[in-house]
Amino acid sequence: MAPPTANDSPTTTLNNTAATEPSRPLAFRSQSRRAVNDNSTEPTPSKPTTAAKMSASEPQSSFAVKAGLAQMLKGGVIMDVINVEQARIAEEAGACAVMALERVPADIRVQGGVARMSDPAMIQDIMRAVTIPVMAKARIGHVVECQILQAIGVDYIDESEVLTPADPTNHVDKHTFNTPFVCGCRNLGEALRRISEGAAMIRTKGEAGTGDVVEAVRHMQTVNAEIARASSASDADLRAMARELECDLSLLRECAKLKRLPVVNFAAGGIATPADAALMMQMGCDGVFVGSGIFKSGDAAKRAKAIVQATTHYNDPKVLAEVSIGLGEAMVGINCMHMGEADKLSKRGW
Amino acid sequence: MVQPQQQAMTTTPATITIGVLALQGAFVEHISLLRQAAGDLHIQVSDRPSGGDHYASHEERIDSLSSSSSSADVTCPDSDYTLTLIEVRTPAELARCDGLIIPGGESTSISLIAERTGLLEPLREFVKVQRRPTWGTCAGLILLAESANKSKASGQELIGGLDVRVQRNYFGRQVESFEAELSLPFLEDGGLFRTVFIRAPVVERVLPSASTSMGEVPLAAPDDTVVAPAKQATKARVEILGRLPGRAKAIKDRTTTAEDLGEEGDIVAVRQGNVFGTAFHPELTGDGRIHGWWLREVMKAVRERGKA
Repeated sequence: MAPPTANDSPTTTLNNTAATEPSRPLAFRSQSRRAVNDNSTEPTPSKPTTAAKMSASEPQSSFAVKAGLAQMLKGGVIMDVINVEQARIAEEAGACAVMALERVPADIRVQGGVARMSDPAMIQDIMRAVTIPVMAKARIGHVVECQILQAIGVDYIDESEVLTPADPTNHVDKHTFNTPFVCGCRNLGEALRRISEGAAMIRTKGEAGTGDVVEAVRHMQTVNAEIARASSASDADLRAMARELECDLSLLRECAKLKRLPVVNFAAGGIATPADAALMMQMGCDGVFVGSGIFKSGDAAKRAKAIVQATTHYNDPKVLAEVSIGLGEAMVGINCMHMGEADKLSKRGW
Repeated sequence: MVQPQQQAMTTTPATITIGVLALQGAFVEHISLLRQAAGDLHIQVSDRPSGGDHYASHEERIDSLSSSSSSADVTCPDSDYTLTLIEVRTPAELARCDGLIIPGGESTSISLIAERTGLLEPLREFVKVQRRPTWGTCAGLILLAESANKSKASGQELIGGLDVRVQRNYFGRQVESFEAELSLPFLEDGGLFRTVFIRAPVVERVLPSASTSMGEVPLAAPDDTVVAPAKQATKARVEILGRLPGRAKAIKDRTTTAEDLGEEGDIVAVRQGNVFGTAFHPELTGDGRIHGWWLREVMKAVRERGKA
């Protein structure tokens, strides 16, 4: 796939349609409508009271506020950390957020067993230690783990396939939470199902804990290809496509119009080098999650800094070459091609 | 014989280049809202080729507005200019800019990446010596403050330019993020503006201009406060352009509140000469009025620079 150009890259189209209000991303629509109403003399019969009130006093965070934090994370690197020391290294390296968890995916793979939400005390220690946003993982469908994470004040909840799923049929209804959610996807249908459940940020799943970028590339490619297909489809075709992808038609229409997902989309699962991060950025993702790739390598601090620089300067091969020099040993990794289907974490969730 | 004034009008319109610092954060949103605001002001957005740097692909290549609209607005003084919007990641790109926006994002990330990209000193030069128009939103406001507290354990590099002390994450964590209707008197229509505050900072104190500009650290600065290195002092005073009402009472540490200054509400928009800062995110709203106002301020500054 060719690197995106300024005019058609998904990152630049996120808000390009700002002028034409109806086609703006769902995340921003409620706001812009209010903003437009402020200017116009037209009366707003539908919900005039909520628009005038200060949302701070409302119990529910608006979707714009939830998706807004994800927009602030764009162009950045979110790093998995298991203790305060690692969190500080990540912050010093320039991470835009950290994911606090007890075991990185690579260890979960080796040790096996049931992987659950981390000890809240450990997450709170990390929240105290750094000033950047702190994310934490809950099991798929585990509403109570999410309630606990919200109660201790984490900035983003990752309803993650890396942990052992808790609900055999449903993901968490994320609309009911004030804390925003990020969820994984392998394709457009899965992404839009999560967004309709209330996810304010998406990440491609990749294959966590392998250090092999191939699955992240596959999932990003799939999402891109399906969005491209949707954007050239007729409305009748879109309806058929929504049935095929098992997703909400209006969200699919929005993707078709925006030529990208209606929320921020990071890459995850297998990114281990600065080149991997830049590769995902060139494919059009908004930022990257790096899990086991940093703290399972020889020189974590140096690699972390290098991946941050590579994510910013993803289109500048000179900088990429510079930061790729002398990083020491990368994580050993597991080749996804030789991995049994049953071992793939990305198969979890639907 | 042609009048000099008419002659000037027939020359190619001058190009104003606005950069958005694109190291991390919501820079794309600013670029699209700038373009929207330029459209509202009938300013052409040009696709003039850049100096051949390898980031040319990042340049906004937008066809100018329909020729009819631009020629129809020759009476508008602003239509003398065409606008080029660029993402800024290198000192060379910064050098092309007549004005700069530092977007929302994580201020620690932006400042660390700027340092490692060799952009910190050029940015300080741009803001505090060349005194070019610069606007920071949220993280950008933090970076443009001369002093900030609640920074990370080992401190944080600031650009500076605004003689204020900013408190990071003032309202708390993400669950405390909110939207609010704000009255911003500096906007022409004086209307309410829907603002989004995300883990937002506030200006907790206006610093005495001379002392900080000469490099003295304010005496009562707490341990976690960082200050920006001094450059040239400015005579411009800090103007408070926006306040968030009804929240000052919730502040725990009463010694650092806006209330103590005999004022109501937290300071969320300030200007000092060429530097403008907002604690909230106009780039998340789709409302281009503040961008339009700032564009006109930039054009004013460019005209004055031309005269000087």
